[in-house]
Amino acid sequence: MIAFVLFSMGRAWQGFWRNALMSLAATLTMVLMLLLLAGFFILQNVLLASLSFVEQKVEVVAYIENTATQDQVDKLAARVDAMPETASVEFISRDEALRRFREAQQAQGRPDLTTSLEANPLYASLNVKLTAPTDYQVVAEALQADPIVRPHGVINIQALVERVTTVTGLVRTAGLVMVAVVGLIVLFIIVNTIRLAVVARAEEIEIMRLVGASDAFIRWPFVFEGAFVGLAGALVTLGLLAVAADPLSTAMVGFFNVLPLQLGTLGRDTAVIVLATGLGLGVLGSWVSVRTYLIR
Amino acid sequence: MTLTEGPTQTPTPPAARQPSLFDRLTGRGRAPKTDHAVVVLHDVTKRYPNGKEALKDVDLVVPEGDFVFLVGPSGAGKSTLMKLLIRDELATQGDVVIDGYDLARIKRRQVPRIRRKIGIVFQDFKLLPRKSVWENVAFALEVTGTPRRQIRPAVDRVLALVGLTAQADQVPTQLSGGEQQRTAIARALVHDPRIIIADEPTGNLDPVISWEIIQLLLRINELGVTILMATHQAEVVTALRKRVVALEDGRIIRDETGATYHRED
Repeated sequence: MIAFVLFSMGRAWQGFWRNALMSLAATLTMVLMLLLLAGFFILQNVLLASLSFVEQKVEVVAYIENTATQDQVDKLAARVDAMPETASVEFISRDEALRRFREAQQAQGRPDLTTSLEANPLYASLNVKLTAPTDYQVVAEALQADPIVRPHGVINIQALVERVTTVTGLVRTAGLVMVAVVGLIVLFIIVNTIRLAVVARAEEIEIMRLVGASDAFIRWPFVFEGAFVGLAGALVTLGLLAVAADPLSTAMVGFFNVLPLQLGTLGRDTAVIVLATGLGLGVLGSWVSVRTYLIR
Repeated sequence: MTLTEGPTQTPTPPAARQPSLFDRLTGRGRAPKTDHAVVVLHDVTKRYPNGKEALKDVDLVVPEGDFVFLVGPSGAGKSTLMKLLIRDELATQGDVVIDGYDLARIKRRQVPRIRRKIGIVFQDFKLLPRKSVWENVAFALEVTGTPRRQIRPAVDRVLALVGLTAQADQVPTQLSGGEQQRTAIARALVHDPRIIIADEPTGNLDPVISWEIIQLLLRINELGVTILMATHQAEVVTALRKRVVALEDGRIIRDETGATYHRED
């Protein structure tokens, strides 16, 4: 068994270098296809991160009666925070609300008219961020039920939620379809390239068959060779990605500015996908291609 | 070329053909082995998926140690017959029995083992261009899982038998046509086969070299290996006076011992 594996690996190694040009072409194709796949995978993740960022912008705002004590507000905040639908709760005091209002006015270049007011006309509020925007109803009802929340003090955001989820859902599906299509293209091109490398050696396979080589002895060297090509392609691809990762992520953070992208796990996921795809398709490609030549 | 290093099988005298042989061979495993015939075709018909009948009701028994010329025009069914023998194709009807094994009944996994009993030689040699003579012959053993320590003596022995010891390290392009064919014959012999099937082995060679190849095959035959040779070269067949099986339109139209290429009337 070990002798057989060693034999197959040896023959695979030999086969790779005896047809160096074909093997290099196959490896290069593998690299390009894996880069394409990795590119789309990363893009898809950036897209998903952007979408959840947009969705987090949807918050349920509840205005608080001016008579409410800090203690009452804290209790309500704690209660809402404990709900599974809630991502985070932020208390905006009346002063804070005024300050933000002024900032916003200033940013838009409008004159600050609040200085002419006798008192702060704004209410304090609890701003609740949701884990999923579609859950807004539950949170809104819980807030409205509390006596310190002003009557009709919870803003109805149904229309907004619907619009946002429609758009994000559409973009998510489109992204997934795109990755699937690219994945299929990559699959066909890689399998086909490996097939060419196998077909180029049809005569060798024919001779093996005629001198009485068993299926295993014909198949496994090619499968190992496909695995070599896949592994080499994947490693080169990962090398290129590693080199490109730093400037790329800087550019991405610069471009999208506020995106809380977790590049750590994305890098790991990409590495796993590239390695698995390279190896998997290399093996699959040779397995399928050699099949044609085996005993009928 | 001396034969002192060849395998030491003694040629079995051709067994007399008895009608009961078919019955015994087609006894479906009850008597799986026979000492008399290495190739038995019984009522074999081969129809290809496109409807073409390449062989029709072919009966052929080749006793061990026989030398058989297979003659006939192109498309007569010679190639199909050879494909059936190595189980590259399966007969549509009838039985093909090689060395006691009914090819239609053996398991797929056993096919390589049967093929190792048969050495095949082609008109176009089918050598691997990047391997040396020695490696080409050793290849047949390597890919069948022969332990390394057994490969060297076996290859050296067959190369000596075909007279290519001096050329062992050359690649096929450095060899003459005759030497290439002798390499192919060495490769066919290295598994110690019971049968050599040669498909127009001299088709690409000039007459003098052709005779050398024929001489080599005759010598191998004397060592006890059954030889089945398809050829168009009438003068060779006629000169040797061996058994001649003539195919035409998928049927055996003549099967004579000590015959000539053309029918003698």
